[in-house]
Amino acid sequence: MKRKLLMGLLTISMVAVLGLTGCGDSKEEDNGAQDNAAEQEADADSSDGSSETPAASGGKGYVFETDGITIGVDMDMAPIADALGEPKSIFEEPSCAAQGTAYLYTYPGFEINTYPDGEDNYVGYVVLKDDTVSTPEGIDLSKTRDDVIAAYGDNYEEDDKKISYSKDGMTLNFIFSGDDLASIEYTSSVLN
Amino acid sequence: MKKRKKQRGKKILRGILTFLILVLILYLLQRLLMPKYMDDVTEGGMVQEYYDEKKDHDVIFIGDCELYENISPAVLWEEYGINSYIRGSAQQLIWQSYYLLEETLSYEKPDVVVFNVLAMEFNEPQQEAYNRMTLDGMRWSGSKIGCILASMREDEDFIEYVFPLLRYHSRWSQLTEDDFRYFWEKEKVTYNGYYMRVDVRPAENVPEGRVLSDYTFGDNAYKYLDKMTKLCEESGVELVLVKAPSLHPYWYEEWDEQIRNYAEEHQLKYYNFLDVTEQIGLDYSTDTYDAGLHLNLSGAEKLSHYFGRILSEECGVESRRGEEPLEADWEVKLSEYHSEIERQLQEIERSGQ
Repeated sequence: MKRKLLMGLLTISMVAVLGLTGCGDSKEEDNGAQDNAAEQEADADSSDGSSETPAASGGKGYVFETDGITIGVDMDMAPIADALGEPKSIFEEPSCAAQGTAYLYTYPGFEINTYPDGEDNYVGYVVLKDDTVSTPEGIDLSKTRDDVIAAYGDNYEEDDKKISYSKDGMTLNFIFSGDDLASIEYTSSVLN
Repeated sequence: MKKRKKQRGKKILRGILTFLILVLILYLLQRLLMPKYMDDVTEGGMVQEYYDEKKDHDVIFIGDCELYENISPAVLWEEYGINSYIRGSAQQLIWQSYYLLEETLSYEKPDVVVFNVLAMEFNEPQQEAYNRMTLDGMRWSGSKIGCILASMREDEDFIEYVFPLLRYHSRWSQLTEDDFRYFWEKEKVTYNGYYMRVDVRPAENVPEGRVLSDYTFGDNAYKYLDKMTKLCEESGVELVLVKAPSLHPYWYEEWDEQIRNYAEEHQLKYYNFLDVTEQIGLDYSTDTYDAGLHLNLSGAEKLSHYFGRILSEECGVESRRGEEPLEADWEVKLSEYHSEIERQLQEIERSGQ
C-alpha cells in the first residue's frame, strides 16, 4: 500500500512538473526579471527571420533619410551607426536593475535613441532638431502646419500641439510650439 | 460495518495526505524557480528586505532608484541620529509607491515620508519585469492585491502573481547555483534600503529633454499623488516631496512647476535638489557611477548630509542617538555598511576599473 501511495505521488508530481515546464509560451520569454539577459538572448534568437518582431519590421512606415542613409524605427542601429560615422556624442542610458542599455546618438541636426533587444540595439525614435535636416517629404522645422498636411495628407490625429501620422505600427509626430514647428519625431510603437 | 468505516477514513486521510504533499512539492518548486535576485539584479530583492526590519523608523523614503541609490540612511543616522529606511524598487511607479506606503503605515508611523516625484512622469503600467521586482517581494495583504491590480499590464494575469510558479516555470532550464544556495534564505542586498555603488563614471554629454507635446502629468499619476497626500494626512505623517539631483531622465521646468503648485496647494514641502547641487557640494565628475543617472556613494553621502539637516531643522525630526537598542542595532549596520565600502573599493582596485 505504501509503495502504491508513493508511486501515486511521484506520478502526480511528475505530471505537474512536466506539465508546467512544457507549456511555455512566448510571453514567458519576453519579460524576465532576474534572467532578463538570458531571455533577451532568447528573444533575439527567436526574432531571426520572423516578421512578427519589432526588429524585423525595421524600415517600415515613415523613414528619415540623410546622406543616402535610410533610418527607420526598429531598425538595427549598428549598421546605421557605421554608415553615419562619428556622432557628436553618445549618451549611454543603462536602465535600472540591468534591464538593458539604451543609447542616445547625437548628430548634427538630429538625434537617434535606441532600445535594447538581446545583444542588439534598435532605433526607438529619431528626432529632427533644427532646419538643417528635413524629412524625405520635404518638411523641416521652418515649415508650417499647412505645409505638413499638404505633404502628408489628411489622415492624421491632431491636438493643440501635435499632428501625428501612423503607418505600419510607427508614428511620425510634428510637435508645435505656438505656430512654430518645434520638433519632428519618428517613434517606434515599442516605446509606447 | 466498523471495518468499512475505518477503511473509508483511511482513504480520506490518504487523499488529504496526498493533496498536502502535492501542495508542498509545488510550493518547493515555486520557491526554487522564482528569481533570487542575489548576485545580479539585486534590486529585485529590496522590497522583501523591509519585513526583517524593526519597524520604528522616523523617516521612510518611498520611490524609485532616485531614492534608493541617492540617499544613505547610514549617514542620516551617523550625522543626525535619524532612523530611516528606503522602501525603494526599480522603476517604482506612483501607484506602487502608494500601496507600499499604505502597507508601511500598517506596520509603523514615521514622522516623515519622503517621495521622489520623478515617478509622476508615468501614467500607465510599464514593464512586467519591473512590476515583478516590486510586487513579488511584497507580503500578501490588501495593499499587495491593490498594488498588483494597479500595476498589471494587459498581457499580465493576476493568477500569475498569486502563483508565481505559473510565471516562472520556464526558468527550470536556467537555474543556477544561486537558486539552490538561496533557496531558504537570502542575503541582504541593501543598507536600510540603500543600494551602494562606490565606483565613478563622470557625467558627460548629458542630453536635454526632447520637446514634448504635452507636459501635463497624467490623471492617474495625480490620482495616486492625491491618495498619498490624503493617506499621510489621515495618518498624521508629514509628506515631503523631493526631486533627486539625477541629471537624467531630464526633469522639465514644466514638470517642476506642476509639483511646486501641487505642494503649495496641499501645503507640502518640496525640495528640488537639482536647484541646489552646488550647495550640496555635488561634483558630477566624481559623484556619479553612471554618468549622471544616479549618484555613487560619495554623491549619496553628500546629499544625505544636506537633506539630513533639512529633516532635522525644517521637518523637526529629532535625533535618537543614544537610544537603546537602536544605537546597538545601528552599530552593527554601520559596521556592515563600512565593510561593504571596503569590499567594493578592493574589488575596484583588483579589477583596475
